Amino acid sequence: MPLKLFCCDECIPERQNHVYVKEEGEDTTQFLPLSNIETIPGSLSERGCSYCGAKLVIGGVIKDCIQMIHGPVGCAYDTWHTKRYPSDNDNFQLKYIWSSDTKEKHIVFGAEKQLKKAIKEAFKEFPEIKRMFVYTTCTTALIGDNPKAVCRKVEEELGDVDIFVVECPGFAGVSQSKGHHELNIGWMRDKVGTLEPEIKSEYTINVIGDYNIQGDSYVLQKYLDKMGIQVIAHFTGNVKYDQLRCMHRAKLNVVNCARSAGYIANELKRVYDIPRMDVDTWGFEYIKVALRKIGAFFGLEDKAEEVIAEEVAKYEGKLAWYKERLKGKKVCIWTGGPRLWHWTKALEDDLGMEVVAMSSKFGHQEDFEKVIARGRVGTIYIDDGNELEFFEVLDSIHADLILTGPRVGDLVKKLHIPYINGHAYHNGPYMGFEGAVNMARDMYNAIYSPMWSLAGKDPRVVDSPMWSLAGKDPSVVQEL
Amino acid sequence: MKEKIEEVTALIQEQCLWQFFSRSWDREENIEGIMTMTGKILNGDKINLVTPADKAFYSDAKFLAADIKKKMPWISELDKSGVLELIEGVKKRLLYITVKKSRNCELNLSNY
Repeated sequence: MPLKLFCCDECIPERQNHVYVKEEGEDTTQFLPLSNIETIPGSLSERGCSYCGAKLVIGGVIKDCIQMIHGPVGCAYDTWHTKRYPSDNDNFQLKYIWSSDTKEKHIVFGAEKQLKKAIKEAFKEFPEIKRMFVYTTCTTALIGDNPKAVCRKVEEELGDVDIFVVECPGFAGVSQSKGHHELNIGWMRDKVGTLEPEIKSEYTINVIGDYNIQGDSYVLQKYLDKMGIQVIAHFTGNVKYDQLRCMHRAKLNVVNCARSAGYIANELKRVYDIPRMDVDTWGFEYIKVALRKIGAFFGLEDKAEEVIAEEVAKYEGKLAWYKERLKGKKVCIWTGGPRLWHWTKALEDDLGMEVVAMSSKFGHQEDFEKVIARGRVGTIYIDDGNELEFFEVLDSIHADLILTGPRVGDLVKKLHIPYINGHAYHNGPYMGFEGAVNMARDMYNAIYSPMWSLAGKDPRVVDSPMWSLAGKDPSVVQEL
Repeated sequence: MKEKIEEVTALIQEQCLWQFFSRSWDREENIEGIMTMTGKILNGDKINLVTPADKAFYSDAKFLAADIKKKMPWISELDKSGVLELIEGVKKRLLYITVKKSRNCELNLSNY
């Protein structure tokens, strides 16, 4: 039963090539789900678009630049404020969003003048900001606007600004993954190497694929500071635009999210001979490995052990408390792609949980190679899953918790199954030692919440505990 | 030896991200570099780290060698040639799984 066709997919049998159930003794040379290909018509995909991958995931995190969306205003709103990546400059990047606000007349006559006007107006309104990202959208790409030419013109006119253009119309590629790719390769081509950093340590790294979700970057930065390592740039958590221009001066690229940012690590290796070291920064045991490997690269093994000892002393007992209560709980991971392979063994080894189903929105086959190698026998692995498939999975297995985004999260809540926000977290950070405990705490709170037993009760029933808890008179309810 | 090769391969499959880099040439380079370095560490050979890549291979190899020693007590019973045979066998198995017979359609795309 390696490749599986869900009953709900009988009319779209191509979906069978996207669903795999691992059996004993199998490896990825025998079966590997198709992925990063076009969604099959008839399957209601949960995927995002290329523009979303560029703006919401990577570019929008940068803390000191204007984020100009060249397109209708809705594209700006829909990627604003939906993901919590704070910054230490009062969350500038979360507070504002900018749009060229293209209308029908711009589609007919061209929107380049409108873009130029919007860019200059934005710089005027925020005179302290001198850096800008410009994103194309479906509309402005289709009408053939040349935003790069517009931006070069503005740079010449204003003199002290620097603008980066991402060509990421929503229709490009098959999912948000294409936007990750465009931003990575574009930044490498246009901006890396255009500025020199101040070097303060002989140990320098880039932390790639960490977006400071609820403070993840702060946690990693704390460990690295204690080890005496200078981070040239986090790509892109809590980072300044100009720090990212200096990435060529790092001695090592430490990669967490290889899906959204592996491209720039590969290019930095190819062009500047900077080695790429992939690590897991989620997971109590994984972060030990990550710090030890970074320490070994620089000959800072003792420093790494000091950090590990200090953090383990603080958090090991707390994690053990949650492990006692979470072991044996069945969990599904339905997120973007990489968190499947980052989390599956971490949840099993650190907390004794069982990951029974995993679904990826935009993972490539590389991600499925990783997750199938790490995942359990009997687990269901799904590419580009749809809602009907999720219902069928939940009918066939009893899951105690789903790690997923708010959209699917609301879906499973209606089935009275708790969910934890796997994209932007409930109460993070989730990275590092303290993050592993935070994640365990959120999962514990979700699974053991009394809300679930109350949610299943009908308030119109006289002996419903909902009313007795609220001190209501059941007879009143009966009359209603 | 065949069982030992499978045991180490299974450990690497489960633990190590370097075998799954984006392209076939990255995977080949990592498997050769890290496994060769792991053999040197297990055999107690002198290690000369010249290039940045050497240091990266060493970092991963050091962790892997420690994991093998911890989880596979039989490793201490192998002599130097036994370790080399093991390492070469694991290299072949990893290349088979992650490159030669990999079903990943992106492995040989010329650009990242």
